[in-house]
Amino acid sequence: MDPLQKTSTWIGVALLALTVLILPMVLGALWIKVLTSAAIFALAASGVALVYAQLGLINLAQIALIGVGGWIALRLNYATDLPVTLLVIIAGGLTGVIGALFALPALRMRGLYLALVTLMVAALAQIFFNAFQFPNGGEGFWGVAQKSADAVRRPGFAQSDTAYFRYVMIALGVAFMLIGLHKSSAPGRAWAMIRQSEANAMAAGINVTFFKLWAFALSGFLAGTSGALLAGALGQLDARSFLAGEGILLFALAVVGGVFSWLGAIVAGLLYKLLPAIFNDLGLSADIAMIIFGAALMHAIMTAPEGIAGQIMGAFKKGGSDD
Amino acid sequence: MLKVYGLFLVSGLAVGSLYALAGIGLVILRRSTGFLNFAYGALAAAAAMVAWQVADWGAWPPLSWFAALVAGVVLSVAYGRLVAPALAWREPAVKAVATLGYMLILLGVMGLIWDDELRKLSLPTDKIAVTLLGVRVTVTRLIALGVAVAAVIAMILYLDRSRMGLNMRALADDRDHAALLGIPIIKVETLAWGISGALAGGTGLLFGSLVRLEPTVITFMVIPATAAAIVGRLTSLPMTLLGGLFIGVIEAMLTLYKPLAPLRAMTPFVIAGLMILWMQRGTSLTFASKD
Amino acid sequence: MKTSLILATAATLGLSLMGEDAKADGHAPVCGLNTGQAATGEPIKVGGINGNAPPGDFSGGTDGAAAYFDCVNANGGINGRPIDYLVENDQWNPELAGQVATKLVKDEGVVALVGNGSVVEMAVNAPLYAAEDVMVMASGCAISECYESSHIVSTNQGPLPSGIGALKFAIEELGATNAACIGFNIPNNGGWACDWMNEYMSSKGLQGTSILMDPTAVDLNSVYLQALAEGVDTILLMLPAGPAIGLLKVAEEQGGREMFKWVSPTPLYEPGVGEVLGDYWSDHLYINIELNTFDSDGADNQNWVKVMDTYGKDDDRRDTFSQSGYISAKFFVDALLDLDADRIDRPSVTKAIQNIVGVESDLLCDPYYVGVADRHMPNHSGRMVVFKDGGFELMRDCYDIDTNYLEPILAQETALGLD
Repeated sequence: MDPLQKTSTWIGVALLALTVLILPMVLGALWIKVLTSAAIFALAASGVALVYAQLGLINLAQIALIGVGGWIALRLNYATDLPVTLLVIIAGGLTGVIGALFALPALRMRGLYLALVTLMVAALAQIFFNAFQFPNGGEGFWGVAQKSADAVRRPGFAQSDTAYFRYVMIALGVAFMLIGLHKSSAPGRAWAMIRQSEANAMAAGINVTFFKLWAFALSGFLAGTSGALLAGALGQLDARSFLAGEGILLFALAVVGGVFSWLGAIVAGLLYKLLPAIFNDLGLSADIAMIIFGAALMHAIMTAPEGIAGQIMGAFKKGGSDD
Repeated sequence: MLKVYGLFLVSGLAVGSLYALAGIGLVILRRSTGFLNFAYGALAAAAAMVAWQVADWGAWPPLSWFAALVAGVVLSVAYGRLVAPALAWREPAVKAVATLGYMLILLGVMGLIWDDELRKLSLPTDKIAVTLLGVRVTVTRLIALGVAVAAVIAMILYLDRSRMGLNMRALADDRDHAALLGIPIIKVETLAWGISGALAGGTGLLFGSLVRLEPTVITFMVIPATAAAIVGRLTSLPMTLLGGLFIGVIEAMLTLYKPLAPLRAMTPFVIAGLMILWMQRGTSLTFASKD
Repeated sequence: MKTSLILATAATLGLSLMGEDAKADGHAPVCGLNTGQAATGEPIKVGGINGNAPPGDFSGGTDGAAAYFDCVNANGGINGRPIDYLVENDQWNPELAGQVATKLVKDEGVVALVGNGSVVEMAVNAPLYAAEDVMVMASGCAISECYESSHIVSTNQGPLPSGIGALKFAIEELGATNAACIGFNIPNNGGWACDWMNEYMSSKGLQGTSILMDPTAVDLNSVYLQALAEGVDTILLMLPAGPAIGLLKVAEEQGGREMFKWVSPTPLYEPGVGEVLGDYWSDHLYINIELNTFDSDGADNQNWVKVMDTYGKDDDRRDTFSQSGYISAKFFVDALLDLDADRIDRPSVTKAIQNIVGVESDLLCDPYYVGVADRHMPNHSGRMVVFKDGGFELMRDCYDIDTNYLEPILAQETALGLD
């Protein structure tokens, strides 16, 4: 680990401890809920960022995979008595498999066509969720009854909103560690070579197909986990939360936040959920947030490829080298 | 039963011509500038809202339609002149992502200006209709199809016959060579953004009248329109036209098959997905192509 | 029903009272204690949540309630204490709905919520309201959770009774035998209401079918043609106003006015509809209304108009939800006025609301009540109007519906002595 990475890891751990321990004491119930959502979407954004940063691939369909993870979690919630944490992991794992399956035919593509394929998938998923809806405790495979929804379980130790926020934050910390482990070991090196040149990577004996699929699976796992956590946070899921437009927004904000570090995913989550909530609280229109997002995306694309996180980290680096 | 199929065929062609019309606007710009403009739907939406606004101020109706076209051109050229040049040498995917930013900005601005209420954009041609296979088809729908066909023919002729068209094709093939040859890149590109903007304005008018006058609805029509453009491989205008019509007809026909009826809106995306797979056939599994 | 007779008497009574009031006191609205003195005591926090974003604006309820509360505050408040009315918009977003409710209930500590109107809020927050023991007197409900929760009671009927009310009229007056219910494919909204509409049709020995569409569907033509292919004779538009108008436009294009009988629940009863629909639909579109007509001369309706004129804002909606928000707020204020002003807190307010039984208004066909129950639907009989010359004309006054859905509700009413 290079020193900068080490500092950033320690900053991360300190930040996690701070948010888990201190924040719930000082913030009102509203902001706990908002930050829970922001953390959940930071988890999903880290998946989008991973695939974009490591392989240069644009994924506009992450929102669809979040929905898939949420669907699986709800289905299992009503059908089984499994512990919630296990249920979240299963939802993440299955979504990872589904993500990899979808990626299989898309592996030959990159650039614009891959982005278009994912956009088509996001649009498909939107209609799919609308047609079949999310399980609400009904009978049958789809589990949808034309009635009010039954309760969604939370872990026994995370029943209150505050406890659930801590639970989500710890899940986020674990996920970042998982990504960090990948980046600093064999998959990370393989991805770097694939990014440079697929032919060279193959010549060097790297199983290109496997490692590309592995990136998609990991990203899908993160999306699925976040969907499952979202189901627990909201107590139900609604097809209207999983529109293709949201997938576009999530990708845009991942880029704005910065795709190369965990900090970028957090910035993306905060922009996606905290900023509109602040605007709403101040009585400002959510449309203003949309304009800011659009301008920030164009700015990031044109002049700040490392995003807001890159700029923050850059400031740290400067400070560090001055010592 | 045959009559029922006829109904759905005509209805499907009507919807398909909307997909085709928007798809054609996307392809024209993509061919000459390399930009796949995801903000196209937002341009159309803004144009439709401007038309409504001008009409709401009590202006003579044709003036409001003209205002829509102007709005489309101005908003499109603004991006083409102010933002696009900075991205000219970037990969197509990056160019496309940047237009997503423009789309978000336009969506936000429209939301600020026009809050949500019942609005209607009616064209005089909405009231005149002909009956085809038992379905009444308004002249507005015929115009949608007519404009789509006319745009395809006019663009093909223009690109083939005129000096400017030749420049556009040269630019699309290889930007560096075109610059070396002394082709006035800025002028050609501005023209392309303008043409596509005008088409977006017209499309917005028709959508606003035929579908729903709601900024988000029109903005996200860009997704099925992209599907039509994909059928035309983002380059072929006639294929885009046919693709749009084909998608519309299949989508309408699926209504008749109950198990799939709720999923029929998936048609554009399934067809586009299959098209992309088919285009990739023969390439090896692992090696990704450039774009 | 007996109730309508009682109501007719009540309405006449109200009318004559109103006549005297008007003589005494020109055009000023009547609110709360009606002292003419602004309330200056410690404010009482009351919440309200609306949903205002595409595809629909459900802010009429909180607009109506806000205007009435302003009027009450200017007229002595709740025994001297003004109401601090905090309104939030859920923007049709379930996540945001959960957040704003948490803010109001937990951070602000409101004593109750009044005037809520939304398609997502109640589904997300019903467990929160029950857990925090806070009552919601909603005004613009459209989903099942609103009527099947212990702590939510809505003044409006929602799509189920209103849609079935429209169908009953269509069966009895228009000869409907086979109806298609066109609704959104949302389980607790379109699915729920259309399911019960089908049950209603088959209980009458008639046919019903659901055509559920994607809320983002672009191609309304196919939806219309689907109804055509089903061979129905009646179309029930179980949709918000925007999409319903879209469908009517398609039908107009197809010359569909005579092909079907067209009926709709309340959403199409809105002042702006005339301008958007045009003459084509005149005399061909029948709408069930959940409260009274906008121009009815009952005391409460007239007072609603005055309150909105005096205390409403220019961009406030003046629709059924607004009437509903106004009357919900009035029932709420009346209940609070009976409490000791110094002892107004959440438990006492929850109890006071639950104790509301049998209050009447000319805006409603039946007496309003809350009670302690796991579901609430005090308003389930409405009126029928026809769209005519850009306006609306009353076709049938208060009538009740007879669906099995109401069985537990009617049992409650018997238990409360309301029958």
